[in-house]
Amino acid sequence: MQPEAYVAHHFPNLRQQEHAARLGMWLFLATEILLFGGLFTAYSVYRFLYPLAFEEGSRHLSVTAGTVNTVVLITSSLTAALAHHLVEKRRSRAAALCLAITILFALVFLGIKAWEWTHDFEEGFLPGRYFASAEFTTTGAPMFFTLYFLLTGLHGLHVVVGMTVLAVLGVLTWRGRYDHGYVTPVELGAMYWHLVDLIWIFLYPLLYLI
Amino acid sequence: MATSDPKTEHEHPAATRYYLVWAALLAGTLLTFLLSRVHLPSPFHLLVAIAIASAKSVLVVLFFMHLWDHGGANRLVFVTSIFFVVLLIGLVVLDNATRFELANPGRGATLDLVPPGPDLLGPRETPVPSRRVDMPEPAKDLLRAPEP
Repeated sequence: MQPEAYVAHHFPNLRQQEHAARLGMWLFLATEILLFGGLFTAYSVYRFLYPLAFEEGSRHLSVTAGTVNTVVLITSSLTAALAHHLVEKRRSRAAALCLAITILFALVFLGIKAWEWTHDFEEGFLPGRYFASAEFTTTGAPMFFTLYFLLTGLHGLHVVVGMTVLAVLGVLTWRGRYDHGYVTPVELGAMYWHLVDLIWIFLYPLLYLI
Repeated sequence: MATSDPKTEHEHPAATRYYLVWAALLAGTLLTFLLSRVHLPSPFHLLVAIAIASAKSVLVVLFFMHLWDHGGANRLVFVTSIFFVVLLIGLVVLDNATRFELANPGRGATLDLVPPGPDLLGPRETPVPSRRVDMPEPAKDLLRAPEP
């Protein structure tokens, strides 16, 4: 099958279709950045209002778990980029394996996150009025954990969505759907995954390293 | 190649570039971790962390997300979204930072400040159910009270 067979009837050629798809993806990613921007604004305001609570709150989080998760997510971003690279070189099986490794890293990330959350729940670090910690009583302590759960929760949701997208792409790549020179879906799926990585790059110092 | 245009060849760089970016991202992570242990003075602590995170995300956006190769409208869209997030955060924090101190909750200075005039911030008695205005009988007492 020729790559031209993938051109929709409203595009003159594949090149223009690829450019349009990429721009559309960037517009979508811009809305994602603005979505997280709202939460980052809330974070900034409450960190400004309760600096001591945020400093102490970050000490109640596991820096080791946060650092390991950062390394895991950065490496998963590398494998996603390699998958895109390999599928462009028509090495679909290797690309599908790279996508599978990316999903494995994502599972490791979510596993560590689940362990962290379980630990927080046991300590009584719950969001808002459910906050029930005896030793961490600084003013604004519940606000830190509210924002912690909102930010990591929304990010975790994006991890799950990204995993789903990459899993579908992985199966299609393995079956040889992108063997014919049309690889835009893999490129856009990898871009979504890089955005998930991008958000975490900011969450890591803002939550764990205050 | 994917398209008939031979110019697209340069859009597929060698994989070494991805490994180099990955190594730089890991180095950035190590650097931001180590600097957070050093305890820099207050504003620099946050500024350094933000600067390193920004540098890392520039690497991700340029090379993993291919903004280095695909310029034009894609770059404009990304930069615009970042601009508006920075504007939002900057102005909202500026609003809080320039308020009369008592208008902001929870600050040390707010808690220590002695309010001018009568003690409006002191603890008030909890409203007694019998004194609620919507209850018919005590409502008359409330109306009578201020007369003398």
